[in-house]
Amino acid sequence: MASHAPPPLVVQNAEKKIGLAAEQDKERNRRRRRSSSLMYQEPPESLEQQSDQAVNPNLNAQWVNAKGAWMIHPILIALLKILYDILPGMSQETSWTLTNATYMAGSYLMFHYVRGVPFEFNAGAYDNLNMWEQIDNGDQYTPAKKFLLAVPICLFLISTHYTHYDLTYFMVNFLATVAVVVPKLPALHRMRFAFFNHEPDTVDGR
Amino acid sequence: MNTTTYLPHFPTTASLPPSALHLIDQISHNFNKIPGSAIILRYIRSSYQDDPIRSLVELFLVIFAIRYLLAPAYSTKKVKNVPLTEEEIDDLVDDWAPESLVEGETEFERLVAERGPVLTGAAGPRVKLAGSGKTVVNLGSYNHYNFADNADLKAKAIQTIRTYGVGPCSPPGFYGTQDVHMKSEADIAAHLGMPACIIYAQSFSTISSMLPAFSKRGDVIVADKACNFPIRKGLQISRSSVRWYEHNDMEDLERVLAKVVKEGQGKPLTRRFIVTEGLFECVGDLVDLPKLVELKMKYKFRIILDETWSYGVLGRTGRGVTEHLNVDPLNVDMIVGGLAGALASGGGFCASSREVVEHQRLSAAAYTYSAALPALLATTASETVALLQENPQHILTLRENIKAMRAQLDPRSEWVRCTSHPDNPVLILVLKDQHIADRNLTLQDQEAILQDCVDEALNNGVLVTRLKSMPAPLGASGKDMQKEWRPRPGLKVCVTTGLSRKEIEGAGRGVRHAVTSVMKGKKWQRVGG
Repeated sequence: MASHAPPPLVVQNAEKKIGLAAEQDKERNRRRRRSSSLMYQEPPESLEQQSDQAVNPNLNAQWVNAKGAWMIHPILIALLKILYDILPGMSQETSWTLTNATYMAGSYLMFHYVRGVPFEFNAGAYDNLNMWEQIDNGDQYTPAKKFLLAVPICLFLISTHYTHYDLTYFMVNFLATVAVVVPKLPALHRMRFAFFNHEPDTVDGR
Repeated sequence: MNTTTYLPHFPTTASLPPSALHLIDQISHNFNKIPGSAIILRYIRSSYQDDPIRSLVELFLVIFAIRYLLAPAYSTKKVKNVPLTEEEIDDLVDDWAPESLVEGETEFERLVAERGPVLTGAAGPRVKLAGSGKTVVNLGSYNHYNFADNADLKAKAIQTIRTYGVGPCSPPGFYGTQDVHMKSEADIAAHLGMPACIIYAQSFSTISSMLPAFSKRGDVIVADKACNFPIRKGLQISRSSVRWYEHNDMEDLERVLAKVVKEGQGKPLTRRFIVTEGLFECVGDLVDLPKLVELKMKYKFRIILDETWSYGVLGRTGRGVTEHLNVDPLNVDMIVGGLAGALASGGGFCASSREVVEHQRLSAAAYTYSAALPALLATTASETVALLQENPQHILTLRENIKAMRAQLDPRSEWVRCTSHPDNPVLILVLKDQHIADRNLTLQDQEAILQDCVDEALNNGVLVTRLKSMPAPLGASGKDMQKEWRPRPGLKVCVTTGLSRKEIEGAGRGVRHAVTSVMKGKKWQRVGG
């Protein structure tokens, strides 16, 4: 049991500082909350969820930093291009546009649409986060995220070039790219459109 | 390639001074020396295509990408680093007194430990106390059918040890499963009338690891407020959303179920379970299973029924609540039971459909990671299940003894009443409300009074115990405890067939007189107002 005598002045000061920091933190949190009904921010995890997240490394998101994980993107794109090229009657413009659209659709599905972890690693502690938000523990502007943003932009520039700037192809390519670039923006971290998403339950078992 | 080719594009070329023209020449010359510059130039030239807006869009994308690539990384997690000086850190560290990992013994706990009787020899219906050497009647063990003294069972257990050794020393999925385990599983499944059964090595960890195997974060569990400690641990580990309903209140249950269903509309479907006990460990009463099944069907939930205290006790052949209340066991999705109590063995089981059982063999932590049940306990369980089926006389005798014991206690004693179901061999006696109110007794006072009753009963030659099955949650304050459901402090009298009707009546009288003398004694008169 701790002694009942008041702690020394220095300790009191330090404790005051810590208390102040916590207060500011709370204030900042409150301001960040949006009252708009269309959009809401995924609330921070409860202590229990955080501890479950920390039990295991997040194997679902960790692989993007692994060897060869970057190489697979150009390889997949090349394979897609070859696949579309060998289809009879395929023009270069359509082939590039299809390659671009397929890659963007796959990447949107993988990084932004599906939430949680497909395996039983963290007792469902990541169920409310998509893979982009899980990568690097939610940090922004990390090398993996920079690479994953640069790839669709480069692919877009290349495919618009080879479609010879036809307006229709350009619009298809452009919209596909925007669909995967916008959700990657740091400003949209943990943002949800309430129209598509119900706010998750916050009740935890006890 | 000559740089001057581009210059005519600029209308102001002619007006530039010669030095500027020279500089432009110089720059373009150097640019041409960079490898690949020709490709970039060709790309830019062909991408312009007289469409400035599209080129602007592309340029904007490129600039955005470059800005993104150059931005420094930052964490979105809130970092709570408070700037402290070295001195402050040292002082904080010096000042910090860690809380002890285990709370010190309270005065009451010390007394209980000091006064606790020590037995010599087996815990049969009559036991010998170490120290005084006195022989007393044992009503503190779950030796309901006195299988502990059964010579046949002992001989078979010894025979099993000679064949199989003392323990398998391995989880069932590795090399711990032996033929006797599979036979026990089949025996219990056949006894209950369920398609399949899985045996766990510990009774406590059966439900607390079987619940998290099925219910995960986001799933909904509706549980009775009086659920026992292992169930609570299972609910906690499972991380599910838990809703509680008032103990055995089927109207309240229906209200909760309807609410869960309403809240879940339009959302992705989650697994939903009702968790309750057959005979409640902390109260002793019986669940209203037919109504429960009706509600489960109506609201599309699954039932997980903990029959740890009712399997082997209720029903004509000891099948538990389903037999007692004439409910088809197939209507109960999962029946969990214990073999450690009335069946004089060890471990627990979960009986259910084949799929549900097979799922647990890989996903229930206690089955996957704990060593399998020792072979001798598996054979003992098979034997005792067979004994109950073949000879219902065991159960009938037990019922007679329960009736004889209750007659001595519940209506007769003016101080305590029995909350247990009439067929429950574990009689839980709580102080009557009127006396609690009259004397203004707190929970601690009641515990202390009942401990005195236990001691007094031992003086009268009867060994009983208190209800101690629900430790307070770690770190719970007094306020939390008031909100939480807590069992009422109670005496636990475990009836056995190892005693004659006369002896049971005598023991019951002993307990009743002990309670009376404690309640009439001077010590507890002063409390009140």
